[in-house]
Amino acid sequence: MPGKKSLHIESSGQLCVYCSACVGVCPLNCIYLDETRITFDERVCTRCEICVKACPVGAIEIG
Amino acid sequence: MAKDLTTDVLVVGGGPSGSMTAKWAAKQGARVLMIEKRQEIGSPVRCGEGMSKEWLKEVGIVPSPRWINLEVEGARIYSPSEQVFEINEKHAGNEVGYVVERDAFDKQLAIDAANAGTEVLLKTSATGVLKDGGRVVGVRAKQFGEPFEIRAKVTIGADGFESQVGRWAGIPTNLALRDMDSCLQYRMTNVDCDTRYCDFYLGKVAPGGYVWIFPKAEGLANVGIGVQLSQIKEPAAAKTFLDKWIANHPGYAKGKKIDVVGGGVSISPPLKQTVTDGLMLVGDAARMIDPLTGGGIANGCIAGKICGEVAAKAVHSGNASAAAFQEYEKGWRARLEEKLYRNWLAKEKLVSLSDETFDKVIDALQGVKLLKLNVHNILKAVRDKYPEVTKEFEAFL
Repeated sequence: MPGKKSLHIESSGQLCVYCSACVGVCPLNCIYLDETRITFDERVCTRCEICVKACPVGAIEIG
Repeated sequence: MAKDLTTDVLVVGGGPSGSMTAKWAAKQGARVLMIEKRQEIGSPVRCGEGMSKEWLKEVGIVPSPRWINLEVEGARIYSPSEQVFEINEKHAGNEVGYVVERDAFDKQLAIDAANAGTEVLLKTSATGVLKDGGRVVGVRAKQFGEPFEIRAKVTIGADGFESQVGRWAGIPTNLALRDMDSCLQYRMTNVDCDTRYCDFYLGKVAPGGYVWIFPKAEGLANVGIGVQLSQIKEPAAAKTFLDKWIANHPGYAKGKKIDVVGGGVSISPPLKQTVTDGLMLVGDAARMIDPLTGGGIANGCIAGKICGEVAAKAVHSGNASAAAFQEYEKGWRARLEEKLYRNWLAKEKLVSLSDETFDKVIDALQGVKLLKLNVHNILKAVRDKYPEVTKEFEAFL
């Protein structure tokens, strides 16, 4: 989406520990944990960055 | 496509709160189905595994060596300059207790629920709620990737911190940044833990939270941290602060990590609403975690028993309205709400303290014999030694 920062969730397992903290904190309920993959809905996400703070291992980047 | 199902009571989530709700609903004669998205109940563990014990009898849980690692004598609170205040069972009134094997504990509760008559479906996740008018009448679900529907007279959202069920049904469960912690924990071997104590380190080592050491056995401990989201500035704060704490403590720096666990914990005041027509929320999904300690098992199980009994009653009476569920809403609040709210206020104060103030509080407590540990007695002890510190706490005195 033009003007929006990009959000990247590293859920290949290099960083992500699949704890769902990001899923739980998302105020718009747009992050999903499906087995061993975490996805988010690009259209709904406002880049509020709360998930970035909540991730204990820094697997979510925004920029 | 998997076959659609109907039941009296549908419990979404097979953690302690869900199993406890399922068990008590089944015991009262309801047909109960509990669904769990994982393939194995209790695993992977997402918990510090420290647990108080005085509540177990109230909800019908029999302590067993199958899930108890050890029983501690007390807790030690470390100030930023690492002065220690010891809380033992005498003045904590049984607040301290067990270090447990959470996966075995969760499995035992699921077994209890199943033995009471609950049907359990694994690898089954809810993907949305079914509504009839404004009323929740079950969920859309997926099992092994196959979509199907489960219709229920009563639906229970026991789906944990990341709860979706409540949100789908329109119950506001969003949290403020200051009411959430980001947590990380290692299980470490070859560490100098003391199996008699659970240890807590306060202050800037864990902004807005604490570092915990919960001993699992001689030389083996869960070493973890919770940090408050409103105090986090950089990504990966939980890991950065925990790694730093470990590096600064030789008894732990020499240890070896054999496990890593992350998670989110709510440290919020109680929700204003936990029921709607056809639906009740319980446990972490209902934000019932103690905001001061971050402990959620006891509250989830206590509320779960009430929830299960009210669910069965609704099935028998044919009335699963929000009005009928007020018995649960009022019941869990009568048992838990005052302490939750008081501890949230105490948390709000504690997270604002400077390291210097923490040091003074612990120092003041070291010198006195407290008969009973409560906020009032603690503040009195601090006032005697550091009257200027208690100015900030007048409201609690």
